[in-house]
Amino acid sequence: MEKRAEVGIIGGGIIGLATAYELASRGFRDLVVLTASFPGDGSTFRCASGIRASFTTREHIVLMRESIRKWIEWTRGELGRLGLRFMQKGYLWLASTEERVRAYEESIRLQNKLGVPTRLVDPDEAKRIVPVLDTRHLVAALHDPTAGKASPFKTVHALVMYLKSHGIPIHTYTRAEKIEEREEGFRVETSRGTYFFEKLVVAAGAGSPRLLSQLGIETMIKNIPRHAILTEHYKPVIGPLVVDPDTPGAPYIIQTGHGGFYIGRKIPETPETEPYSLKIDYPSLAIKPLLKWFPWLINVTVLRHWMGHYVTTPDHHPIIGPVPGHRNLYVSTGYSGHGYMLSPAAAEIIADYILEGKPKWTEAYRLNIMRIWRGDYIHETAIVG
Amino acid sequence: MDKRAIVCRCLDITVEDVEKAIEMGYTDFESLRRYLGIGFGPCQGRHCYPIVLRILAEKTGRKLEDLPAPRMRPPIIPIPAYILAAARGEGDGEEG
Ligand SMILES: Cc1cc2nc3c(=O)[nH]c(=O)nc-3n(C[C@H](O)[C@H](O)[C@H](O)COP(=O)(O)OP(=O)(O)OC[C@H]3O[C@@H](n4cnc5c(N)ncnc54)[C@H](O)[C@@H]3O)c2cc1C
Ligand code: FES
Repeated sequence: MEKRAEVGIIGGGIIGLATAYELASRGFRDLVVLTASFPGDGSTFRCASGIRASFTTREHIVLMRESIRKWIEWTRGELGRLGLRFMQKGYLWLASTEERVRAYEESIRLQNKLGVPTRLVDPDEAKRIVPVLDTRHLVAALHDPTAGKASPFKTVHALVMYLKSHGIPIHTYTRAEKIEEREEGFRVETSRGTYFFEKLVVAAGAGSPRLLSQLGIETMIKNIPRHAILTEHYKPVIGPLVVDPDTPGAPYIIQTGHGGFYIGRKIPETPETEPYSLKIDYPSLAIKPLLKWFPWLINVTVLRHWMGHYVTTPDHHPIIGPVPGHRNLYVSTGYSGHGYMLSPAAAEIIADYILEGKPKWTEAYRLNIMRIWRGDYIHETAIVG
Repeated sequence: MDKRAIVCRCLDITVEDVEKAIEMGYTDFESLRRYLGIGFGPCQGRHCYPIVLRILAEKTGRKLEDLPAPRMRPPIIPIPAYILAAARGEGDGEEG
């Protein structure tokens, strides 16, 4: 017997779970989440958990600004009572050259115009924001006080508990293998039986391009490996995420709620590499450039190194929304390294499409898959690690 | 087992914490260990995983052999940053 629901969501990462939450919290209950392993597995539990609106395109700035508003709402509401906590500790973008300062000034103008109060700070002020920062090589920095972080483990826990208590099933270890489009909906064959959904949301992270190609849909997505390392726990000394875009690979550091330093840096990679093919020299490549800013890091101990995917579109903006020519199919993927921060807004956009027919933010329309097919790309330059 | 006995010495997680989490529905070891945060200490779970797996098997009436063995992530032992800093090469990081 086929299992049935009006809405099926494939993917139990942050995007699928947040979308299910958004639908459930508006009173819509006839839905099922299917996920290949356990909730949060995939990019979500591997991410740095940075949340910011300091981007350089209108689409990203406005939607991230709205997303931050929702992160705060979530923290104050039922999800907060279940343990979710957005910590508004900011982002600090370092500049080692005058050229970088001028680029920051330009993005600050756009960010301020769109309601994000970023500003340029001098080395003394940067030191007040991050007292453990060595500012000898610092020319200036861009400070985004609205940005922050939230533990992915606590966020996923809160979402899962909410869904459970509202009777929304999450079928774990259930991998979608074959999708067929029918007149009245979608037949999904999985590793644990067959499902039939009237409406289908594909939010399967790195697994999305393959599922969509079964329906003849080309996403142009590349799954690009990104590594990270984590140190032992120390007392909280760094509030914001600190990033150095003037060093190749834009190394960054963020201190987790547990006190570990999470460090990342982009290195040349081959797309589609399996998440367990680690690079032996990565921990050293990641930590070395940060010693210039935090010389005391020489004393920390590195516990872990892992890899996840940046599910990357040609213009580093996600694909969110319906797909022309495929009735009742919705895509929410291609977050290109920013899906965790955008998840509350992304969930609202898909819930709006399903329940209201259209999203409330005009910026969301541009994220339609049509732009990918037409090559009508959105240009973004502020990409971290 | 004493409820207050520590199962994860790195992070001070007790038998009671583990049992409560299982009662909340964390019957899958991968989700359970992430919810508890065990394995994120310097020993990377070498001490606490076997104990937690045993409690999980007992509480859910499963056999220990039927529970999947967790994957260990490198490095196998913690590495001090000064050793990493001494490694040669700056790396050709890609433009961010
Ligand atoms: C090292 C690193 C650092 C990052 N840092 C940040 C950051 O600071 N801030 C930020 O916002 N973002 C960051 N990201 C990006 C962020 O992790 C992702 O954009 C986000 O987690 C995407 O969520 P998702 O739900 O789309 O995908 P995932 O979390 O990958 O979830 C997809 C889920 O779908 C399941 N699935 C796949 N195929 C199938 C199938 N066929 N059937 C059923 N289920 C399937 C998978 O098992 C998985 O659980 C980072 C990513 C990496 C790798
Ligand atoms: S005892 Fe649990 S991580 Fe070390």
